[in-house]
This record gives sequence, C-alpha cells and structure tokens, in this order.
Amino acid sequence: MTVQLPFSRPEVRHEGHLKVTGSAKYTGDHYPPGLLHVACLSSPHAHALIRGVDTSGARDLPGVHAVLTGADIGDVRFGRFLRDLPVLATDRVRFIGQRVAAVAAETREAAEEAVRLIDVEYEDIPAVYDPREALTADAPVLHPEAAGYLTMRGDGRELPEHLNLQGDLVAGRSEEEMASAFAAADRVFEHTFRTPRQHQGYIEPHGAVVWFEGDTCHVISTNKAPFTLRAHLATATGHPAEQIVVYNRFIGGDFGGKGFSLDEFVAFYLARATGRPVRSVMSYVEELSGAGPRHAAELTLRTAVSSDGIFLAHSADVVFDGGAYAAGKAAPDLVPHGGLDTMSAYSIAATRHRLRTVYTNSVPGGHMRAPGEVQAVFAGETHVDLIAGELGLDPVELRRRNLLRPGSPAPDGTGAQSAAGEVLSRAAEGVDWATQPTRGRGTGIAVYRRKGGAGRGGVVLRALAPDRFEIVTGAADQGAGTVTMIARVAATALGVDESCVEVVQQPTAVAMFDQGAGASRVTRVLGEAARLAALDMRDVLAGDVLAGAVPAGAVPACAVEFPVEVTREAEAPRGEASDTFGAVAVEVEVDELTGQITVVRAALAADTGTVINPLSHRGQLEGGFAFGLGAALMEELPVEDGQVLAGSLGDYKLPTAPDMPPLTVINVGDTPGPGPFGAKPVGEFGNLGVAPAIGNAVARAVGVRLQQLPLPAEAVWAGLAERA
Amino acid sequence: MRLFDYHRPTTVGETSALMAELGDEAALLAGGTSLMNLAKLGLAEPAHVIALRDVDELHGLDGDPVQGLRLGAMTTLRAVETSESVRALAPGLAEAAHHVATVRIRNQATVGGNLVHADPNQDLPPMLMVYDAVARITGPDGVRTVPVADMFVGFFESVLEPDEILDSVSVPPCAPGLRSGYLKFLPRTQDDYSTIAVAAGLQVRDGRITHARIAVAGGGSTAVRCRAAETALVGNGTDDATLTAAADIVPGLLDPVADGRGSSGYKRDMARVCTQRLLQRLVAEGAA
Repeated sequence: MTVQLPFSRPEVRHEGHLKVTGSAKYTGDHYPPGLLHVACLSSPHAHALIRGVDTSGARDLPGVHAVLTGADIGDVRFGRFLRDLPVLATDRVRFIGQRVAAVAAETREAAEEAVRLIDVEYEDIPAVYDPREALTADAPVLHPEAAGYLTMRGDGRELPEHLNLQGDLVAGRSEEEMASAFAAADRVFEHTFRTPRQHQGYIEPHGAVVWFEGDTCHVISTNKAPFTLRAHLATATGHPAEQIVVYNRFIGGDFGGKGFSLDEFVAFYLARATGRPVRSVMSYVEELSGAGPRHAAELTLRTAVSSDGIFLAHSADVVFDGGAYAAGKAAPDLVPHGGLDTMSAYSIAATRHRLRTVYTNSVPGGHMRAPGEVQAVFAGETHVDLIAGELGLDPVELRRRNLLRPGSPAPDGTGAQSAAGEVLSRAAEGVDWATQPTRGRGTGIAVYRRKGGAGRGGVVLRALAPDRFEIVTGAADQGAGTVTMIARVAATALGVDESCVEVVQQPTAVAMFDQGAGASRVTRVLGEAARLAALDMRDVLAGDVLAGAVPAGAVPACAVEFPVEVTREAEAPRGEASDTFGAVAVEVEVDELTGQITVVRAALAADTGTVINPLSHRGQLEGGFAFGLGAALMEELPVEDGQVLAGSLGDYKLPTAPDMPPLTVINVGDTPGPGPFGAKPVGEFGNLGVAPAIGNAVARAVGVRLQQLPLPAEAVWAGLAERA
Repeated sequence: MRLFDYHRPTTVGETSALMAELGDEAALLAGGTSLMNLAKLGLAEPAHVIALRDVDELHGLDGDPVQGLRLGAMTTLRAVETSESVRALAPGLAEAAHHVATVRIRNQATVGGNLVHADPNQDLPPMLMVYDAVARITGPDGVRTVPVADMFVGFFESVLEPDEILDSVSVPPCAPGLRSGYLKFLPRTQDDYSTIAVAAGLQVRDGRITHARIAVAGGGSTAVRCRAAETALVGNGTDDATLTAAADIVPGLLDPVADGRGSSGYKRDMARVCTQRLLQRLVAEGAA
C-alpha cells in the first residue's frame, strides 16, 4: 500500500478549541454534588518516630467529616514498582513533607484549619541527607523493615548489600575486563559531575477527585497513566481493579511528573469513610516538597583514550539521591535508567556502568523528562570536551572520530543506523563552528542518543458510516497532542480526510488497556495501534467504500453494515531499535565582570524520523530546548537538611519567553523509526544536550569550566576571579 | 488560605476607624500582589482584610513641572510606567516600574502597597530615593511626611505604625537636566527579582557633576541610598576614574543577604559593577 503522507500540513489540535475557550475540564475543575475537600498534614521532621497523634480537635471542628491517620487505615503502601511509601505514615516519618494525616471537610479552608488542630508527637531520630554517607556502615537505616516490602508484581525483592540502597544496577563488562582495557590505554581521564534535584515545573498541580457508587470507586486524576494508576490503587487498597474506574482527558503539563500520584490514595480512604466525593489538589508547597523531583546525582566518569583520540573504554559510577522512598520509580531496578547513557552516542568497545540509588531523608525522587539521561548527558558531553581540551583536539573532531556510525556500531549492535555524524555537523554549522567568535563569546556542542521506551496499548476503531470514524482510547493527553496524533495516523492509514475521524477518550472501564504516557512511547504505541486498526478496517471495507478518498457528501452504496468495529494493540518491545540522535550547538556571551551567561543563538539538529504533528513536533523540540535551558542556567530545588527551601514557582525559577535565544531547529536524516509511518520518539529529546553545550561554550569563551548544574553567573564570576 | 472578613471602606477616615477597631487582626489590601501570596503560603493569616480600592482619596496621579508628581497610594505600577506625566517629569520612575514583574502584575500592584510591603528587592523604592520622593502618611494624630530614603527599617518593615496609612507619594520637581536610569541585574531569568539593582541620577553642568543620587535594591534588609558614593561624584568630572571611585564605595555601604540569587560577596561586587555601568551609561547619554 502506498500512502501519500499528509503530515507536512500543520495540524489543528482536536482539543484546541476546548482549551482556548476554557471549556476543557481538568481534574481540579470537577465539583460533583456533595463534594468534600481534602487537606493533609505533613511531617515537619526529616526522620522521626511517631509517638502519638491526637485528632480530637480536628474532628470537633464544624464542617469536618473525616480525619484519618495511619492508625486508621493501617500500614498501606504504594509505589510505581516498590511499594515502600505509606499512604499515611504509621510509626515513622522519613522526610519533611511526608503525609501523616488527612482531613475531608466541607471547604478547603475548614480542612486546612482542621489540619492545624492535629497534634502529633514526634521523636526525632538521626537523619542522613548525603547519599554517600547513607551507604556507610554506621549510617541511620531508613527502612529497617525493607525485607517485608512488596513490589507491584506481588513478590518481595532481594535485599541489597546495604539497606539504604534502593537500586544497584551494573551493566557492561566485568571489572577485570575494564581494568585491562584501562591499563592498555595511552591516556585515562576521570572527572566527577554533580546535578541537582529539579521540579518538573508543570502549572497544574497533582490532584484527584474520588467517589464511590456502591462498591465502584470512581477516580478523576491528573495521573497520565490511568490503567497503571488503577493497578496501583487496587494493589495498595485491596479494592478489586474491576471496581475502580479512572477517568482522564486533559492534563495541565507533565514533563515526567504525572506518572506518580499521591492524592488518589488518601482520597480513596476519605471517600470511603465519608460516603461523599472528595477532591484533593496539592498546594505548591506540597508539590515542591513531595511530588517526586528529578534525582540529584553525582557521576564519576572514566574514559580510556588512544593517542589518536579514540575512546577505548568507558566506565561510569553514578549515585542518585533517591530520597526517602523508591515509590516514584517505575523500573524494577529502581534506578533512573538514563544514567546508562553517559556516552551512548559513541562507539566504545568496553563500557561498564554502575548506577545506584540511595535512600536519604529528603523528598523522594521521581521521573522528570528523560530521567537519568539529563544527568548522564551533561556529565558525558562535558567529559568529552574536557578530554578534547587535554588532547588539544577540536571538540567536534574528537566526537566525529568516536561517534556511532554504520561501520562502527555499539557493542550491543545498536547504532548502526546512526545519524550522529550528520546531526553533529548540522548543529555545528548552525552556529558557524568554524568561525572564531569574538572575545567573551564561545561556541559549545553536545551530541546524544535517545532510546524510546517499551510499552503497549490499544485502540478501538469504529466505522460509523463510510465517512465517519471513531477511535476510542484510554490515553490521557498531557498536552503533547496525543488525540490529534491518533486521528492523523488513522485518517492517513484509512485514506480519508482527518475531519472524518474523531478520537474519543474513555475511562478504564470502557477503553482498551494503555500503559500511559511515558518513556516517549505514545506515538510509537498508540499511533501504531491506530495505524494497524485502520489497515484492518480498510480490509473490512475494501472495495466497498474506501476505493478512493470519500468524496464529501457522496456516500457510495455498499454491502457493509455499519457500525464496523476493529481493535488493535501495539507493543514497543524492550530494546527495540528506536535510536534518535540529537545535537545541540550554542553560542554564548559571557559577561566577564558579572559572569552572566547569555545564549545568543542555538541550533538543535534532530534525527526524529517521520513527523506526524509538525507544530507539536517543533513545540517538543523548542520546548525541550527551553526545558534544558532552565536546567542549565537556573533550576535547582534547594534542599537544606531535608527541608525544601522553595515554596512556589516564584522561588523555583523557570525560564520564560524572553530568556529563549534564537533557535534553529534542523530536521536531519531519513532513517525511519519504529513508530507509525517511521515516526520516532521526540518527547524527552530536545532538553538533553542544552546544559553540556552551554557549559562547553562557557569554557571555550572564558576558560571557566563548571562540572555541576546549574551554571549560575556567580560560579562563572568566581571562576573568572580565580583565573585572574 | 484562611478565610477572612472583607471590608470595603470608602474614606481614609473610615479605614482608620476600622484599623483601630480590628487591630492586628486586620491587613490592608491594595493590589494584593504581595498580601495574597503571603496568605496562600500561610505566612499572613489576617482575620480581616480591609480593601482600599474604594477609597477615592488614595487614587489619582497628578503632575506638573512646578509642583512635581503626586502618586496616590493606589496608583498602579502600570500607570506609573505608562503615565505621560511620569515619563516627562521622572522618566527613571517609569523605567523602574517597567521592570517590575509582568504587565498583569503591574496592572494590579500599587505604589502604596509596594512601599509599605518594604521588600528590599523591589524596583520602585531606589528610584523614588533618586528623585527625593516623600511619603505622606495619615495616622490617628494627623498627617506626617517621611522621605522614601528614610522610610525603611528592616526586612518587610517600614516606619509606618500599625494604625497609619500611606496615602500618597510626592516627587518634587527634579534638578534641571537630571539624567536618571535603572539597572536591574537579572543573571538567571528575565522574570525574577533582581540579584542587585541600582538606580542613579546625575546632573552635569559644564563637565562637572553638580548633583548625584545613587540607591540600591537587594543590597541588604532595605533599599539603601548610597550617600557616600554620591558625595564622591559631586564637584568632579565625568571621567571613568571618578565614576569608578564612586562605584567602589557602594559595596561597603551594603549588607546583602545570601540567597538563591547570590552570595553576599557576589551581590556586593555586582552592586559595584552595576553602579559603574549605570553611571557610565548616564554620562554617555548626556554626551549624546
């Protein structure tokens, strides 16, 4: 079948009208009759035993319908993989901000007032905040009961060598093989890098509205994976999954943070206790101090290099600060996997990575746009520039000698389709790499490979009439354009106009299973399911109605009886070839008296395959760049002795439109991806190379090298003073 | 946020009576851009909120070259930014107002609220100091005036007594030929409080500086007028050495607090750099 792809036409968002007119209802917009409001009491202690909780004052307050503590609901734990986080703390709190009690009342104000009247007696116990310290023999153990923790699979897990270890993943060659590879090399370079906790920065806070009808629990939620949330709720509460219905259409921003939820769990118990619908929406203080920020990391990279600048061996030891619970991580290894991608755009014969995540008495870490990769690519691409400097090689040239290319794939065989060389060249050209910048200015570059994630999901496609199709999905749209993408793919595969296809988002009780938005898999999985369903539909309708484009108004006579329904699932298997290569080049100007970094122009070259939604694709790349710019220059969730010091997005600064430099987006390569019509993942992509490119540019402009994020003006200023 | 009773008096007298009756349970609400944020964070929990929007006496922006400017306390920062009178009589004030937050916030935030909040990082106070502005304060015993340069006591604390209302700010006619300007140093994002901000005014006659004002925001617990640096300018030429010598004095007059925007030492040095750059800019503009 040959299809003329109509994707070059900029899309019109199917949900756009609802959003710009304010008619789109988000979770917090739902106020079912009889609604009660939730407020939670959070621990002010980083590590303490709970000696007693007195809720009598709160219970007596007018308007209060229920006050629950850990003693009321029992030791109920949940988590995306390891269920270590209590819905409400029972005997111990492990971070400042952990929920200890929850109130449902007629108004949010009454609920908050009741929270103030709850009296908790704590006994402080020694806390540990530094991951390396937490791994010492006499460090306080956060989870002495870890042996009893269950995973989402229902089993326990093998206990690590130190109880404060959440996850410990080793990948690659043996230590002995690495030792001999390093011993044989001309030069060995080692550098250590640090990256901070960061908040995802979505504008809509987490929230949920929960109510019971008989034994059925209904949940409207900001969670971007309705089916997974249903499983988590069912597993934690023991309520049967088939009696939980999760609704979700619109999410006000995600950036990785909306796969992990807290509110649904307390709301479940409060709705059950009161028999009323309850609404729980996080305040920004709660968001910043407990919603699962990016893991802070310390990364030590070692690379063995031959005298002619060929990378022979590479190892990375990465320690992530996991915070007080592992619940925010979805992968069974309990580490942010992207940490493996320190140098994944290069062909290196011997590599070894050790990623550890450590319990500390701080806010638990979660997922944020390219979890682990952001830390790894900053470290790796800074490391490469440091090596280039030591070898006296141009950073682009050193990269070119080592990149994955058709004749030189990675040891695991991937990367043979590499467009790495092309993205590198095009990004470099975008900032006139060969031209010597003026004083105080410099260019910097970073190149990377991003792999899409595994997962599965399905759609139901119904032909209602020859020119009317409906696709039912259980996916939420976190703003990235899921609904429009599904419609465009289906319309294209059907060979009908996009206006003939309506995408209907249905709750978990109605829709086919979908793993949810995450790991940049939505277009790959749901787009492919929609394409396959459309091909099946063509087979059913072939010859009757779909011989050509359906002329408007002219319904051909046919033998098919409508409606016709087909269902299809698609799955992205773990480890499939889904490589997407990117390169970012920037030119910065550094103010030599203040240290202020201004990015004066930037180029992002992306090998992102077939583009389905051109505006959203560009939005993902430009937005990704802005996201990376924030991570590079300003974003750090400050934590002192376990206390998050930012209480609002006024304190936690994000970049805004005036901060964006002129950005050239360059689409390169024609290697098709695994998605429908050759699409590739693009969601967690544009942000990856920005910080190392800027750091590299600053070093080339004024000779100040920073090995930690963010890159504040003051650090550059201090570096300049040191050099003077 | 805690619930509160909302009052809407229509005169200053009525407002004062309410304040006397409600005491420290009450908070005055002008534009709400600070109070409501504090309330949402639980840092202010007034049982009563007295809204000033209907008090006509507090509104109004008048200006003429003889009398100078009178900014009613309820004048919005957007009005200060866009007013023809302000642009003609005190252009530096319009420039400083332009740097406050966003248009949406400037449409809401007021001159009175901005001053009484006494946030040391605000943009308007140092520029009001450069223009020798005077605050007019009404209390139970009558009216008093306090130069803006003397009205701040500490973090979020001004000379106003709990029973007093700031009703307007006067800006006297400025020195003839005064060039004024504002330099807000924003090293992170353009949407931020300053790390340090400098306001300055220079009058130059026959190549000599005859009048100088320098004030700094973000350099300590209050905005500060830097009189010693001003003195170092007056009577001298506009050469770089003079400007540098004056700028070098500024850090010693400050006591900045370390925070997410920078260490104390960094802020001191940035005050020096920004003062020097701003003075150079004003001199260059005068020469052009």
